[in-house]
Amino acid sequence: MIELRNITKSYRTPFGPKVVLSDLSVVFPSLQSVGIIGVNGAGKSTLLRIIGGALQPDSGSVVRDGSISWPIGFAGGFNGTLTGEENCRFVARIYGQEVDRVVEETRAFAEIGNYFFMSVRTYSSGMRARVAFGLSMAINFDAYLVDEVTAVGDRDFKKKCHAAFQERQERSSLIMVSHSIDTLKRFCQKCAVLDTSGLTIYDSVAEAASAYGETEDES
Amino acid sequence: MSSASRLTMPTFVRGLVAQGQVVHALVLRETRTRFGAHQLGYLWAVLEPVLLILTFYILFVVANRQLLPGMDAMSFVATGVIPYNLFANSLNRVSQSIAGNRALLFYPQVRPIDLAIARSLLEVATYCAVFVVLMTGHGLYTQSFEIDSALKTAVGFMLAGVLGSTAGLVFCTLGQFSNAVDRIRGPMIRPLFWISGIFFAVSELPAGARDVMLYNPVLHVTELVRSGWYPSYESQYVDLSYVMGWCLVLAFVGLSLERVVRRRIELS
Repeated sequence: MIELRNITKSYRTPFGPKVVLSDLSVVFPSLQSVGIIGVNGAGKSTLLRIIGGALQPDSGSVVRDGSISWPIGFAGGFNGTLTGEENCRFVARIYGQEVDRVVEETRAFAEIGNYFFMSVRTYSSGMRARVAFGLSMAINFDAYLVDEVTAVGDRDFKKKCHAAFQERQERSSLIMVSHSIDTLKRFCQKCAVLDTSGLTIYDSVAEAASAYGETEDES
Repeated sequence: MSSASRLTMPTFVRGLVAQGQVVHALVLRETRTRFGAHQLGYLWAVLEPVLLILTFYILFVVANRQLLPGMDAMSFVATGVIPYNLFANSLNRVSQSIAGNRALLFYPQVRPIDLAIARSLLEVATYCAVFVVLMTGHGLYTQSFEIDSALKTAVGFMLAGVLGSTAGLVFCTLGQFSNAVDRIRGPMIRPLFWISGIFFAVSELPAGARDVMLYNPVLHVTELVRSGWYPSYESQYVDLSYVMGWCLVLAFVGLSLERVVRRRIELS
């Protein structure tokens, strides 16, 4: 279970503070897949980072039980001068995992051949995403935070991601941000809309989509 | 460590273990990015200060610098240059620890303070290794090896590292508020090179200059290392509490600022 209590977060801008999340309270139950939709700049990524703990809210608290992943889909946590393998070792260590197992599982999942043992800066964005995703799957989190993961990668990779999430749904929860209603329908049972009035959870993606006023997207 | 056994620990210990894991991982990674993937990288880390010391040694010999009795040029240079470099490099490396590793703050358990601690530890380890290697070589070459007080020498090294790292933390955190901090760091630190005892021992100074020079905490550090190293030299000018006072104040300011910066840093 992840509970957000009265979360407020604002960013400093040259035009004064910009409030992104205002007094937001919500409970994400365990073993549920919840999607989040909202317009650009509504604060979806900010919300994910606050849930994960990488970003501190201005006020309010987050109650988490179990381990939570970093926002997957964003491969920003890699050092370009290190190889994929070395980056995986680092992440496995900070999460207190068995390093060799994590490295091996990531290598097998990413399927990028010898690139795995080369500097990350030589990777294409798709390859980065493969390693980042494989890595997050190799570490057993109780909750996965996903930020537009399916936006990257080719069709085979998307299929693989999908299968990996399906397999994990029995033991992990999922909080996923996406602009694609199709994607959310495929992965999520419930769906929330984030707008200026706060976060409203609906019991199905379709309900949330109609509330959001968005027709089925073509992708 | 399994997550189940970790849950039974008290929160504080659990936090300590988690932070230990992070710092350990950061040190290993820092070693890789700093020295490169080749084994020879470590050699460079040792070789670089050794070359610097050799240069100064040659200067001392050419200038026919007269040292106090019981001191030879090689060990005099080493007991000055290495603690000073440890101080200055810790300061510079730690002050760049956020700038160089910003991407890692993406992982929730990595905090700015962990980046600073990892860099500081690596610096201390590197320079202690350099000192041991160099002094062992020197001892073998001259066929004599005598340390007056290994403890004093070690405390001197530790204080050099702590002083540099805490000052580095202050620069590092202040640097998050303004770029100017980075620009003034060099000009502020560089003069210390000339006044921190690389070229002289405190008791060689005239009394008037000595009192002024002793406001510099780094001078106390090199003086402490030399007091510990030479059986023939016992400095009555080292004031440990003065150096520790500096460390405490810098640590307090640096750590307080780190709490502020933690919230302030925005990931790109």
